[in-house]
Amino acid sequence: MQKIPLNLAAAEMVLARDIFKNDSPTGMPICGKGTELSDSLISRLQQMGVQSLYVEGHPVWQEGDRGLTEQLADLEKRFSKTMDNRYNATLFEVYRTHFTAAMGDDGGRTEE
Amino acid sequence: MDERRSDLKKIIMDTKTLPTLPGVINKLNSLSNDDKSSVQEMARIVSADQVLSARILRLANSPSYGFYRVSTISNAMILLGVNVVKSLALSSSIFEIMEKNSVGLWEHSLGTATAAGIIARKLALPEVEEITTAGLLHDIGKVIIGLKCAEQMPEIRSRIKLDDLYISDAEKAVLDTDHAEVGGWLSKSWFLPDKLSEPIAYHHNVAGSEDHRIKTSVVHLADVLIKASGFGDSGDSYVPPIQQLAWDQLKLEESLLQEIVVELEDKLVEVKNFSLELASAAVA
Repeated sequence: MQKIPLNLAAAEMVLARDIFKNDSPTGMPICGKGTELSDSLISRLQQMGVQSLYVEGHPVWQEGDRGLTEQLADLEKRFSKTMDNRYNATLFEVYRTHFTAAMGDDGGRTEE
Repeated sequence: MDERRSDLKKIIMDTKTLPTLPGVINKLNSLSNDDKSSVQEMARIVSADQVLSARILRLANSPSYGFYRVSTISNAMILLGVNVVKSLALSSSIFEIMEKNSVGLWEHSLGTATAAGIIARKLALPEVEEITTAGLLHDIGKVIIGLKCAEQMPEIRSRIKLDDLYISDAEKAVLDTDHAEVGGWLSKSWFLPDKLSEPIAYHHNVAGSEDHRIKTSVVHLADVLIKASGFGDSGDSYVPPIQQLAWDQLKLEESLLQEIVVELEDKLVEVKNFSLELASAAVA
Protein backbone atom coordinates (compact mmCIF):
# COMPACT_ATOMS: atom_id res chain seq x y z
CA MET A 1 0.00 0.00 0.00
CA GLN A 2 1.22 3.47 -0.81
CA LYS A 3 -0.14 6.96 -0.17
CA ILE A 4 0.19 9.16 -3.24
CA PRO A 5 -0.96 12.67 -4.15
CA LEU A 6 -3.84 12.64 -6.62
CA ASN A 7 -1.76 14.17 -9.41
CA LEU A 8 0.41 11.03 -9.46
CA ALA A 9 -2.61 8.73 -9.67
CA ALA A 10 -3.02 6.90 -12.96
CA ALA A 11 -5.56 4.61 -14.59
CA GLU A 12 -5.46 0.94 -13.51
CA MET A 13 -4.17 1.70 -10.01
CA VAL A 14 -6.32 0.03 -7.35
CA LEU A 15 -7.55 1.85 -4.23
CA ALA A 16 -6.24 0.34 -1.00
CA ARG A 17 -8.53 2.48 1.20
CA ASP A 18 -11.91 4.14 0.87
CA ILE A 19 -11.89 7.78 -0.20
CA PHE A 20 -14.13 10.09 1.85
CA LYS A 21 -15.47 13.50 1.07
CA ASN A 22 -13.27 16.23 2.60
CA ASP A 23 -10.79 13.48 3.59
CA SER A 24 -12.85 12.99 6.76
CA PRO A 25 -13.77 9.46 7.93
CA THR A 26 -17.21 10.75 8.86
CA GLY A 27 -17.66 12.38 5.46
CA MET A 28 -19.57 10.71 2.70
CA PRO A 29 -17.65 7.84 1.13
CA ILE A 30 -16.92 8.72 -2.49
CA CYS A 31 -15.14 5.65 -3.68
CA GLY A 32 -14.60 2.24 -2.08
CA LYS A 33 -11.37 0.35 -1.63
CA GLY A 34 -10.67 -2.20 -4.36
CA THR A 35 -11.92 0.20 -7.04
CA GLU A 36 -9.73 0.39 -10.14
CA LEU A 37 -8.98 3.98 -11.13
CA SER A 38 -9.77 5.30 -14.60
CA ASP A 39 -8.96 8.64 -16.20
CA SER A 40 -12.54 9.86 -15.87
CA LEU A 41 -12.68 8.79 -12.21
CA ILE A 42 -9.42 10.61 -11.49
CA SER A 43 -10.70 13.84 -13.04
CA ARG A 44 -13.91 13.55 -11.00
CA LEU A 45 -11.85 13.09 -7.83
CA GLN A 46 -9.91 16.21 -8.80
CA GLN A 47 -13.15 18.15 -9.13
CA MET A 48 -14.23 16.97 -5.69
CA GLY A 49 -11.03 18.31 -4.16
CA VAL A 50 -9.47 15.00 -3.14
CA GLN A 51 -5.81 15.61 -2.27
CA SER A 52 -4.31 12.18 -1.81
CA LEU A 53 -5.25 8.51 -1.84
CA TYR A 54 -3.96 5.08 -0.87
CA VAL A 55 -3.31 2.60 -3.66
CA GLU A 56 -2.34 -1.09 -3.67
CA GLY A 57 1.25 -2.11 -4.19
CA HIS A 58 3.95 0.47 -4.76
CA PRO A 59 3.28 1.96 -8.19
CA VAL A 60 5.03 5.30 -7.75
CA TRP A 61 8.76 5.36 -7.18
CA GLN A 62 10.36 8.43 -5.72
CA GLU A 63 13.89 9.16 -4.73
CA GLY A 64 14.70 7.50 -1.42
CA ASP A 65 12.12 4.71 -1.76
CA ARG A 66 13.56 1.34 -0.96
CA GLY A 67 12.94 -1.72 -3.09
CA LEU A 68 11.81 -5.02 -1.62
CA THR A 69 15.26 -6.59 -1.88
CA GLU A 70 16.74 -3.78 0.20
CA GLN A 71 13.85 -3.84 2.65
CA LEU A 72 14.31 -7.56 3.25
CA ALA A 73 18.08 -7.16 3.66
CA ASP A 74 17.45 -4.48 6.30
CA LEU A 75 14.91 -6.74 8.00
CA GLU A 76 17.43 -9.59 8.17
CA LYS A 77 20.03 -7.27 9.64
CA ARG A 78 17.61 -6.08 12.32
CA PHE A 79 16.82 -9.67 13.30
CA SER A 80 20.42 -10.89 13.02
CA LYS A 81 20.99 -10.99 16.79
CA THR A 82 17.83 -12.85 17.68
CA MET A 83 17.00 -15.37 14.97
CA ASP A 84 17.76 -18.20 17.39
CA ASN A 85 14.85 -17.05 19.57
CA ARG A 86 11.88 -18.98 18.21
CA TYR A 87 9.38 -16.20 18.85
CA ASN A 88 11.58 -13.74 16.97
CA ALA A 89 11.98 -16.24 14.14
CA THR A 90 8.18 -16.37 13.94
CA LEU A 91 7.96 -12.57 13.94
CA PHE A 92 10.61 -12.38 11.23
CA GLU A 93 8.53 -14.63 8.98
CA VAL A 94 5.40 -12.54 9.66
CA TYR A 95 7.23 -9.36 8.65
CA ARG A 96 8.89 -10.95 5.63
CA THR A 97 5.52 -12.10 4.34
CA HIS A 98 3.98 -8.72 5.08
CA PHE A 99 6.65 -6.65 3.32
CA THR A 100 6.53 -8.93 0.31
CA ALA A 101 2.75 -8.67 0.09
CA ALA A 102 2.74 -4.91 0.73
CA MET A 103 4.97 -4.25 -2.24
CA GLY A 104 2.37 -5.97 -4.40
CA ASP A 105 3.13 -7.14 -7.93
CA ASP A 106 6.15 -4.87 -8.16
CA GLY A 107 7.68 -6.94 -5.38
CA GLY A 108 10.91 -8.10 -6.98
CA ARG A 109 11.57 -4.80 -8.68
CA THR A 110 14.50 -2.74 -7.52
CA GLU A 111 14.43 1.00 -7.19
CA GLU A 112 14.43 2.92 -10.42
CA MET B 1 29.68 -1.08 41.57
CA ASP B 2 26.63 -0.32 43.66
CA GLU B 3 28.14 2.85 44.96
CA ARG B 4 28.78 4.14 41.48
CA ARG B 5 25.22 3.43 40.55
CA SER B 6 23.71 5.16 43.54
CA ASP B 7 25.96 8.18 42.94
CA LEU B 8 24.70 8.24 39.40
CA LYS B 9 21.14 7.88 40.61
CA LYS B 10 21.66 10.98 42.72
CA ILE B 11 23.00 12.92 39.75
CA ILE B 12 20.30 11.71 37.41
CA MET B 13 17.51 12.31 39.84
CA ASP B 14 18.75 15.73 40.97
CA THR B 15 15.35 17.31 41.19
CA LYS B 16 16.55 20.82 40.57
CA THR B 17 17.30 20.10 36.93
CA LEU B 18 14.90 17.26 36.27
CA PRO B 19 12.16 18.08 33.79
CA THR B 20 8.92 18.44 35.69
CA LEU B 21 5.40 17.62 34.66
CA PRO B 22 3.09 20.60 34.44
CA GLY B 23 0.97 21.01 37.56
CA VAL B 24 -2.15 20.62 35.48
CA ILE B 25 -1.43 16.91 35.06
CA ASN B 26 -1.13 16.28 38.77
CA LYS B 27 -4.34 18.18 39.38
CA LEU B 28 -6.13 16.22 36.66
CA ASN B 29 -4.83 12.97 38.12
CA SER B 30 -6.09 13.72 41.59
CA LEU B 31 -9.44 14.95 40.28
CA SER B 32 -10.05 11.99 38.01
CA ASN B 33 -9.38 9.60 40.88
CA ASP B 34 -12.11 11.34 42.85
CA ASP B 35 -15.57 10.10 41.91
CA LYS B 36 -17.22 13.32 43.03
CA SER B 37 -15.33 15.58 40.67
CA SER B 38 -17.16 16.67 37.57
CA VAL B 39 -16.03 17.14 34.02
CA GLN B 40 -16.69 20.87 34.47
CA GLU B 41 -14.19 21.04 37.30
CA MET B 42 -11.57 19.31 35.21
CA ALA B 43 -12.37 21.52 32.24
CA ARG B 44 -11.73 24.57 34.44
CA ILE B 45 -8.28 23.28 35.28
CA VAL B 46 -7.48 22.53 31.67
CA SER B 47 -8.80 25.92 30.58
CA ALA B 48 -6.23 27.59 32.79
CA ASP B 49 -3.53 26.19 30.53
CA GLN B 50 -3.91 27.89 27.19
CA VAL B 51 -1.46 25.72 25.30
CA LEU B 52 -3.06 22.50 26.49
CA SER B 53 -6.54 23.89 25.76
CA ALA B 54 -5.51 24.72 22.23
CA ARG B 55 -4.21 21.21 21.70
CA ILE B 56 -7.33 19.58 23.07
CA LEU B 57 -9.60 21.68 20.89
CA ARG B 58 -7.40 20.97 17.94
CA LEU B 59 -7.63 17.24 18.58
CA ALA B 60 -11.37 17.33 19.17
CA ASN B 61 -11.83 19.15 15.90
CA SER B 62 -9.46 16.94 13.95
CA PRO B 63 -10.99 14.88 11.17
CA SER B 64 -9.74 11.64 12.73
CA TYR B 65 -12.31 12.07 15.51
CA GLY B 66 -14.94 13.36 13.18
CA PHE B 67 -16.70 15.78 15.53
CA TYR B 68 -16.86 19.19 14.05
CA ARG B 69 -16.92 22.64 15.62
CA VAL B 70 -16.16 21.73 19.19
CA SER B 71 -15.47 25.05 20.85
CA THR B 72 -15.51 24.48 24.60
CA ILE B 73 -13.11 22.47 26.69
CA SER B 74 -15.88 20.75 28.61
CA ASN B 75 -17.55 19.58 25.41
CA ALA B 76 -14.19 18.40 24.11
CA MET B 77 -13.62 16.49 27.34
CA ILE B 78 -17.00 14.82 27.15
CA LEU B 79 -16.46 13.89 23.53
CA LEU B 80 -12.87 12.73 23.82
CA GLY B 81 -13.19 11.23 27.28
CA VAL B 82 -11.28 12.27 30.34
CA ASN B 83 -8.62 9.60 29.83
CA VAL B 84 -7.80 10.80 26.35
CA VAL B 85 -7.44 14.34 27.62
CA LYS B 86 -5.19 13.15 30.44
CA SER B 87 -3.06 11.15 28.03
CA LEU B 88 -2.92 14.10 25.69
CA ALA B 89 -1.79 16.40 28.49
CA LEU B 90 0.84 13.90 29.56
CA SER B 91 2.03 13.06 26.09
CA SER B 92 2.23 16.61 24.83
CA SER B 93 4.43 17.56 27.75
CA ILE B 94 6.55 14.46 27.17
CA PHE B 95 6.69 15.48 23.54
CA GLU B 96 8.13 18.83 24.47
CA ILE B 97 10.82 17.19 26.54
CA MET B 98 11.56 14.55 23.93
CA GLU B 99 11.26 16.44 20.69
CA LYS B 100 14.06 18.76 21.64
CA ASN B 101 16.33 15.79 22.06
CA SER B 102 15.66 13.45 19.22
CA VAL B 103 13.04 13.14 16.56
CA GLY B 104 14.04 9.51 15.97
CA LEU B 105 13.34 8.59 19.59
CA TRP B 106 10.06 10.49 19.50
CA GLU B 107 8.98 8.49 16.46
CA HIS B 108 10.06 5.25 18.11
CA SER B 109 7.98 6.18 21.16
CA LEU B 110 4.97 7.23 19.14
CA GLY B 111 5.22 4.02 17.11
CA THR B 112 5.45 1.92 20.27
CA ALA B 113 2.39 3.70 21.67
CA THR B 114 0.50 2.90 18.47
CA ALA B 115 1.58 -0.73 18.57
CA ALA B 116 0.69 -1.06 22.26
CA GLY B 117 -2.78 0.33 21.57
CA ILE B 118 -3.34 -2.09 18.70
CA ILE B 119 -2.18 -5.10 20.75
CA ALA B 120 -4.33 -4.08 23.72
CA ARG B 121 -7.40 -3.65 21.54
CA LYS B 122 -6.81 -6.93 19.68
CA LEU B 123 -6.57 -8.77 22.99
CA ALA B 124 -9.58 -6.87 24.35
CA LEU B 125 -7.58 -5.72 27.38
CA PRO B 126 -8.95 -3.12 29.77
CA GLU B 127 -7.37 0.34 30.06
CA VAL B 128 -6.17 0.67 26.47
CA GLU B 129 -5.43 4.38 27.01
CA GLU B 130 -3.09 3.67 29.91
CA ILE B 131 -1.31 0.97 27.96
CA THR B 132 -0.86 3.36 25.04
CA THR B 133 0.53 6.03 27.33
CA ALA B 134 2.91 3.50 28.89
CA GLY B 135 4.10 2.69 25.36
CA LEU B 136 4.69 6.36 24.68
CA LEU B 137 6.70 6.77 27.87
CA HIS B 138 8.62 3.49 27.89
CA ASP B 139 11.92 5.02 26.75
CA ILE B 140 11.72 8.22 28.78
CA GLY B 141 14.84 7.02 30.61
CA LYS B 142 16.81 7.55 27.39
CA VAL B 143 15.82 11.20 27.38
CA ILE B 144 16.95 11.63 30.97
CA ILE B 145 20.25 9.84 30.31
CA GLY B 146 20.75 12.09 27.30
CA LEU B 147 20.16 15.16 29.47
CA LYS B 148 22.08 14.10 32.54
CA CYS B 149 24.91 12.05 31.13
CA ALA B 150 25.70 14.09 28.05
CA GLU B 151 29.41 13.55 28.63
CA GLN B 152 29.10 9.78 28.48
CA MET B 153 26.78 9.74 25.46
CA PRO B 154 29.57 9.61 22.83
CA GLU B 155 31.03 6.56 24.59
CA ILE B 156 27.61 4.86 24.73
CA ARG B 157 27.08 5.56 21.05
CA SER B 158 30.49 4.30 20.03
CA ARG B 159 30.01 1.10 22.11
CA ILE B 160 26.75 0.43 20.28
CA LYS B 161 28.48 0.87 16.96
CA LEU B 162 31.88 -0.71 17.54
CA ASP B 163 30.88 -3.59 19.84
CA ASP B 164 27.53 -4.19 18.13
CA LEU B 165 25.65 -3.79 21.41
CA TYR B 166 22.04 -3.14 22.29
CA ILE B 167 21.67 0.33 23.76
CA SER B 168 20.79 -1.19 27.18
CA ASP B 169 24.02 -3.18 27.26
CA ALA B 170 26.05 -0.15 26.19
CA GLU B 171 24.37 1.95 28.90
CA LYS B 172 25.09 -0.73 31.50
CA ALA B 173 28.72 -0.97 30.41
CA VAL B 174 29.25 2.79 30.64
CA LEU B 175 26.81 3.91 33.34
CA ASP B 176 26.13 0.77 35.35
CA THR B 177 22.42 1.26 34.82
CA ASP B 178 20.12 1.44 31.80
CA HIS B 179 17.27 3.54 30.45
CA ALA B 180 14.61 1.20 31.81
CA GLU B 181 15.87 1.54 35.37
CA VAL B 182 16.33 5.30 35.00
CA GLY B 183 12.80 5.52 33.58
CA GLY B 184 11.59 3.65 36.66
CA TRP B 185 13.32 6.15 38.95
CA LEU B 186 11.88 9.04 37.01
CA SER B 187 8.34 7.71 37.09
CA LYS B 188 8.66 7.36 40.87
CA SER B 189 9.73 10.96 41.18
CA TRP B 190 6.85 12.02 38.94
CA PHE B 191 4.49 9.92 41.09
CA LEU B 192 3.17 8.12 38.03
CA PRO B 193 0.85 5.21 38.86
CA ASP B 194 2.31 1.67 38.93
CA LYS B 195 0.44 0.77 35.78
CA LEU B 196 2.70 3.23 33.97
CA SER B 197 5.91 2.89 35.97
CA GLU B 198 6.08 -0.93 35.80
CA PRO B 199 5.94 -1.13 31.99
CA ILE B 200 8.52 1.68 31.81
CA ALA B 201 10.92 0.03 34.27
CA TYR B 202 10.51 -3.55 33.06
CA HIS B 203 9.93 -3.40 29.32
CA HIS B 204 13.18 -5.34 28.86
CA ASN B 205 12.54 -7.68 31.80
CA VAL B 206 8.88 -8.58 32.08
CA ALA B 207 9.54 -10.87 35.05
CA GLY B 208 10.46 -7.83 37.15
CA SER B 209 6.92 -6.48 36.94
CA GLU B 210 4.81 -7.60 39.87
CA ASP B 211 1.35 -6.10 39.56
CA HIS B 212 1.06 -5.16 35.91
CA ARG B 213 2.64 -7.99 33.99
CA ILE B 214 0.11 -7.94 31.17
CA LYS B 215 0.61 -4.22 30.53
CA THR B 216 4.36 -4.67 30.78
CA SER B 217 4.19 -7.56 28.30
CA VAL B 218 2.21 -5.44 25.85
CA VAL B 219 4.76 -2.63 25.98
CA HIS B 220 7.61 -5.14 25.67
CA LEU B 221 6.03 -6.65 22.57
CA ALA B 222 5.14 -3.24 21.12
CA ASP B 223 8.78 -2.14 21.45
CA VAL B 224 9.92 -5.33 19.69
CA LEU B 225 7.41 -4.85 16.87
CA ILE B 226 8.44 -1.26 16.21
CA LYS B 227 12.08 -2.25 16.09
CA ALA B 228 11.22 -5.11 13.75
CA SER B 229 9.36 -2.66 11.56
CA GLY B 230 12.38 -0.35 11.45
CA PHE B 231 10.24 2.67 12.37
CA GLY B 232 11.91 5.57 14.17
CA ASP B 233 15.25 5.36 15.92
CA SER B 234 15.67 4.01 19.43
CA GLY B 235 19.45 4.13 19.58
CA ASP B 236 20.40 0.76 18.12
CA SER B 237 18.96 -1.09 15.17
CA TYR B 238 18.57 -4.62 16.50
CA VAL B 239 15.29 -6.32 17.36
CA PRO B 240 15.39 -7.38 21.01
CA PRO B 241 14.40 -10.97 21.87
CA ILE B 242 10.73 -11.56 22.63
CA GLN B 243 10.57 -12.91 26.17
CA GLN B 244 8.77 -16.18 26.68
CA LEU B 245 6.99 -14.82 29.73
CA ALA B 246 5.51 -11.99 27.65
CA TRP B 247 4.50 -14.38 24.88
CA ASP B 248 2.76 -16.63 27.43
CA GLN B 249 1.13 -13.77 29.33
CA LEU B 250 -0.48 -12.46 26.16
CA LYS B 251 -1.27 -15.97 24.86
CA LEU B 252 0.23 -15.03 21.52
CA GLU B 253 0.22 -17.15 18.43
CA GLU B 254 1.42 -16.62 14.90
CA SER B 255 -1.96 -15.80 13.37
CA LEU B 256 -2.61 -13.15 16.03
CA LEU B 257 0.82 -11.67 15.44
CA GLN B 258 0.03 -11.51 11.73
CA GLU B 259 -3.17 -9.55 12.32
CA ILE B 260 -1.36 -7.17 14.66
CA VAL B 261 1.48 -6.55 12.19
CA VAL B 262 -0.89 -5.86 9.29
CA GLU B 263 -2.88 -3.36 11.34
CA LEU B 264 0.25 -1.77 12.75
CA GLU B 265 1.96 -1.27 9.39
CA ASP B 266 -1.26 0.24 8.09
CA LYS B 267 -1.36 2.72 10.98
CA LEU B 268 2.32 3.59 10.81
CA VAL B 269 1.73 5.22 7.43
CA GLU B 270 -0.39 7.77 9.31
CA VAL B 271 1.74 8.00 12.43
CA LYS B 272 4.46 9.77 10.50
CA ASN B 273 1.95 12.42 9.44
CA PHE B 274 0.58 12.64 12.97
CA SER B 275 4.07 13.13 14.31
CA LEU B 276 4.45 16.10 12.00
CA GLU B 277 1.01 17.43 12.90
CA LEU B 278 1.71 17.25 16.62
CA ALA B 279 5.00 19.00 16.02
CA SER B 280 3.20 21.88 14.38
CA ALA B 281 0.53 21.84 17.12
CA ALA B 282 3.25 22.16 19.74
CA VAL B 283 4.53 25.25 18.00
CA ALA B 284 1.07 26.73 17.48
